[in-house]
Amino acid sequence: MTLHFAKAAELLIPSLFHGFGVVIQATVLGFLLATILGMIIAIGRLSTIKIVRGILYLYLELIRGTPLLVQLVYIYYVVPLLLNLIASMFGFKTNIQIASVTAGILGLGINYGCYMSEVVRAAILSIDKGQTEAALVLGFGKYEALFRIVMPQALRSIIPSLGNYLVMMVKDTSLLAYVAVNELLLRTQNFASQTFLTIESYTFLAIAYLVISIPLSYFVKFIEYRLKDK
Amino acid sequence: MFRLVNLEKKFGNLEVLKSISMFIDYGEVVCIIGPSGSGKSTFLRCLNLLEIPTSGRIYYSGAILDPDLDCKKLRREVGMVFQKFNLFPMFNVLKNITYAPMRINKMKEEDAKELAMDLLAKVGLADKANEYPSKLSGGQQQRVAIARALAMKPKMLLFDEPTSALDPELVGDVLEVMKQLATEGMTMAVVTHEMGFAREVADRVIFMDKGYIVEEGTPEKIFSNPENQRTKEFLARVI
Ligand SMILES: Nc1ncnc2c1ncn2[C@@H]1O[C@H](COP(=O)(O)OP(=O)(O)OP(=O)(O)O)[C@@H](O)[C@H]1O
Ligand SMILES: [Mg+2]
Repeated sequence: MTLHFAKAAELLIPSLFHGFGVVIQATVLGFLLATILGMIIAIGRLSTIKIVRGILYLYLELIRGTPLLVQLVYIYYVVPLLLNLIASMFGFKTNIQIASVTAGILGLGINYGCYMSEVVRAAILSIDKGQTEAALVLGFGKYEALFRIVMPQALRSIIPSLGNYLVMMVKDTSLLAYVAVNELLLRTQNFASQTFLTIESYTFLAIAYLVISIPLSYFVKFIEYRLKDK
Repeated sequence: MFRLVNLEKKFGNLEVLKSISMFIDYGEVVCIIGPSGSGKSTFLRCLNLLEIPTSGRIYYSGAILDPDLDCKKLRREVGMVFQKFNLFPMFNVLKNITYAPMRINKMKEEDAKELAMDLLAKVGLADKANEYPSKLSGGQQQRVAIARALAMKPKMLLFDEPTSALDPELVGDVLEVMKQLATEGMTMAVVTHEMGFAREVADRVIFMDKGYIVEEGTPEKIFSNPENQRTKEFLARVI
């Protein structure tokens, strides 16, 4: 058996480049969604309203107790079916579908949002209560104190952890292959099954992830270092 | 200015303030003394609604306070200085002072800066305007905290053990600033362990124990001629 790296490179690498675009799109939007959800959940869990805390606690248990892959499949295949079922109960005939990239972004955002909320919550709790009180006694409201005084201080410890989640999310985009997102893994699978260049194809795939994740993780370390400096 | 009627505060089952009734007049300096855990901080924090009383009424400039409605307005008029200073570490000294006047009173930046510089001069720290709080000594931080509270042009200031976190040699500078405020006619409620300060500056001294106001009166009366047995014991211990 001979290896045909040159041939595989010629045909697969341009396709992987297109895949990069999909990975970046899914990561950027998924991460944005996760950050927003993470903030909202964290703040909600610090709420004085018991029901809000309870609901969020259950939600977190639900999401953290199921694998990301199952969540993706659920959002892509099951949620549209459920929506159509509910619509039909009200006498509407619908054919709701979720685009695979949208399902992927939602899945990543919802899943990572839960884990990120813990980071945000811990960071907020780590800031001395005296900071909030100092803002309150000057006449700021509860949320002004949180967003203007506490959050900026909490961000210092939040940002490095978020960076690590970003690197993890890039790698987890490979799971989107299972909901038909034409990202790196799916492209490689298709190519390998057509050409039987299995060793070459998956080697390039692994390298492709390294090309993104290694520089990204150094960038995250750099940011972390800069934040520690001050 | 303030009048409290049968104020009570519980944390769960723990009764921390029991039927507190008292008043504070405009321009008065009231010092609150008493053993640890007697409820002094809680009492002070009820005055600006950092703690919400469990029962009782608070009148502020003649009107009854509603904790749900009056918080922000009240706090803009009644400033507070903490034991641990609580300066904002990400802002320099100048911004610590100008931040609230600009955000809340919508003061123009130049005006806020001018005000801040005047206040810094007053507390003897005009040369520290561009430092960050972490570069200052405790005594300097506390004087900045006083300047920060003054920048809101409060009608009254609450002090919760403002010198307890300081090295002994730094206490004097802070007390000096507070004395000056008192002579300028600022209304002040001061929880303190500095009996010398209370004796010299207070118009009235309140002795608290186990959640009650046990005794109150002029400094001469409390320090030279206390009536209550518990006041006597406490003073014998601390002086
Ligand atoms: N947020 C709270 N939750 C529960 N208990 C509290 C809370 N704040 C204060 N306490 C309790 O209330 C009591 C009075 O506390 P407080 O801080 O008012 O006393 P203090 O007179 O200021 O004492 P110190 O001189 O030590 O500052 C203490 O037993 C304290 O443990
Ligand atoms: Mg106290």
